[in-house]
Amino acid sequence: MLRIQNLTKVYPNGTQALKDVSFEVKDGEFLVVIGLSGSGKSTLLRCINRLIDPTEGKITWDDIDITAAPPAELRRIRRQIGMVFQQFNLVKRSSVMTNVMNGRLGYANPWLSLLGIWPPTDKQRAVKALERVGIADKASSRADALSGGQQQRVGIARALMQEPRLVLADEPVASLDPVLSHSILHYLEQLNKEGMTVICSLHFLDLVHRYATRVIALKDGIKVFEGLPAEIDRAKFKEIYGEEAQEVRATTVEASA
Amino acid sequence: MKESEPARRSPLLAGALSALLPGLGHVSLRQWYRGVAILLSFLVLTGIVAWYAEPLISWDSSIYPLLAFLAWFKFGGFWYLAPAGMWLWNIWDAASLAGCGRTRTILIPLLFGMMAAYGIGWQLVEVDFSAASLDRAMAIIRPMLYPDMVEERRELNRMWTYVSVPCSATETPPQARREEDGKVASATPDCAKLSEALTVSVSGMWPDTDTIVWWETAIGDDKPLGGNENAPLIVRTDATGSLTVVIHVPSTVMIAQPDPSLMLQHRVYFDQYRPLGGYQITSNGGFVLKGMMESVTMALMATTLSILLAIPISFLAARNLMGGNPFTLFIYVITRTILNFVRSIEALILAIVFVIIVGLGPFAGVMALAVHSVVALAKLYSEVIEGIDPGPIEAVKATGANWLQVARYGVIPQIVPPFTAFTIYRWDINVRMSIIIGMVGGGGIGQYLIQWIQINEMGAVGAAFIAIAVVVITLDYLSAKVRERLV
Ligand SMILES: Nc1ncnc2c1ncn2[C@@H]1O[C@H](COP(=O)(O)OP(=O)(O)O)[C@@H](O)[C@H]1O
Ligand SMILES: [Mg+2]
Repeated sequence: MLRIQNLTKVYPNGTQALKDVSFEVKDGEFLVVIGLSGSGKSTLLRCINRLIDPTEGKITWDDIDITAAPPAELRRIRRQIGMVFQQFNLVKRSSVMTNVMNGRLGYANPWLSLLGIWPPTDKQRAVKALERVGIADKASSRADALSGGQQQRVGIARALMQEPRLVLADEPVASLDPVLSHSILHYLEQLNKEGMTVICSLHFLDLVHRYATRVIALKDGIKVFEGLPAEIDRAKFKEIYGEEAQEVRATTVEASA
Repeated sequence: MKESEPARRSPLLAGALSALLPGLGHVSLRQWYRGVAILLSFLVLTGIVAWYAEPLISWDSSIYPLLAFLAWFKFGGFWYLAPAGMWLWNIWDAASLAGCGRTRTILIPLLFGMMAAYGIGWQLVEVDFSAASLDRAMAIIRPMLYPDMVEERRELNRMWTYVSVPCSATETPPQARREEDGKVASATPDCAKLSEALTVSVSGMWPDTDTIVWWETAIGDDKPLGGNENAPLIVRTDATGSLTVVIHVPSTVMIAQPDPSLMLQHRVYFDQYRPLGGYQITSNGGFVLKGMMESVTMALMATTLSILLAIPISFLAARNLMGGNPFTLFIYVITRTILNFVRSIEALILAIVFVIIVGLGPFAGVMALAVHSVVALAKLYSEVIEGIDPGPIEAVKATGANWLQVARYGVIPQIVPPFTAFTIYRWDINVRMSIIIGMVGGGGIGQYLIQWIQINEMGAVGAAFIAIAVVVITLDYLSAKVRERLV
């Protein structure tokens, strides 16, 4: 169980990205975070694995206080939390295999890993991860030689290498077209069904309805909704996304539905 | 201040005013800026003509003023007319402004300015295409077409004898005859004075072989004996390996001799060559290779040295690392300013400075190249650092990697390939620059090259040109290939 209590983030330039956000995520949930661009979704997800240090508030995972974890402990926590990004965040010049192996850094012997020496089991694991996302044949390609959908699959394979108990997915499909979006989210759904907790930020209402087990909505850093996906109808969506965005949202939703 | 609407006036008056003093017509129409600008341009143009132009022809001595006038043009003096053109345009412009309120294009006065600039340029460089003589060019180019690089491997068969010059009044000269390995060389008489005839002969040499007969003075200078003492004397041995030929003592063999009456021992040599099969590198060819190697390694040393300095400097010159607070930003600005300043100094000029500081030779060249490369590389490196994508770094961090692992897998793959590409490119440039820098004394093939040019060793120059072309083209190709793979 992940518990977020009174989370607040103020950036050094004074932007208040999160205001007193609290919620809980039970193991095995597929929690979707929605909200306009700039509403604080990325900040929230990055606070959970402390890529961003929250200003105030507390995040506990089972009985561990993530917010108070010292560096070594934090790295042990992070290695159990996979992360998938909107821009894939692959090292473009490195091979697909190297990018996937990066997912193992938290477990590997630090010195051997610096020399690029990996245990054979990790290599097998990487091959399996790539097979699982269907791009085993691309292992030796440079990451930037792949299409967007393929790159995101590498991103998922990298997260899989961590054998995570929790996956944070920050708008994993915002850079992909609708068909690819479904195939990527399908992988996340499968992982979720195998017992992984997933926290995922999304933009499109139909995707929210299709994949989420629970939804929270942010607006200007404030949690404005928490509930089941079925509770979000057009009116609620309009409320969350504001009057201006409704037309755009509505048509996008229709187009991808 | 905005120019006020020009007051309509008589074009005649405005033109007349401007004719009196350029720009005055405009001023009278309250076109202040234009008037002052026209006056200043006119004064500057007239000043330049008055100061710089030389009288090309004297008017009073010329009976035909028209021809004298035409001669102006022939000598490029056409630009003396630029102020007059400017003056006419100014009248036209003022009149037109007064008449219809429209100014004329300033393209025309600009053209007159250009005319003056090109006129000065023309006189300055003394353009004279007749100076380019084909004969002179060919005299230099022809030996370059036979590069002094490789030669046939040959075996030398040499014999020599003493000859005394001049004859002494008191001493009897030693006998001009020598025996060695069954070969006999001799000269009659045993002594002679300058330009006197001598009969020299040799036997026991290779039969039916061209033999070069030449003179070595008492102090070891070589003198050819053929032609007008300026060509080799070549005589063929007979079927028994002997030859006899009449030579004249070269007129220059006593040049460095303080006492001209002193009898000294000179030598007459007989040289035969026979091909051994195969080829070998000539001695100049060896210097070409040595110089080329020096240039390439100089460039390598300079590049390596500069990498070590450029990396730390590049961090100081990267805005994304230094923009955080005012203090680091200040360091960033200072670093950038220094880099831009030093980068504007040509490596060639640095080389001249370093030759003065550390003396002639490769070290000066390396220092000059290194300094120039440090600033060039630091700028390129810092741009790479500024272009680092924070995304992958964040992603690697998120896997639980420690900071060394983040550096190794998130940062290094992003910067090392472009760093390497830029460095190889720099080395490529440095090889070319080191050749030029050698010419001002910075070592390497350039230093040999300039010496060969000075002593007119055009064969060696040709060989050096070939070596330079081969190395430059090869490196260019390789570095482009490698960079293609890296980027
Ligand atoms: N590093 C940062 N420094 C300052 N402000 C930031 C930074 N990152 C995000 N913000 C601001 O915080 C707010 C929330 O951003 P973000 O979490 O990226 O929202 P979302 O992911 O929902 O688009 C926005 O107003 C954004 O401009
Ligand atoms: Mg975001």
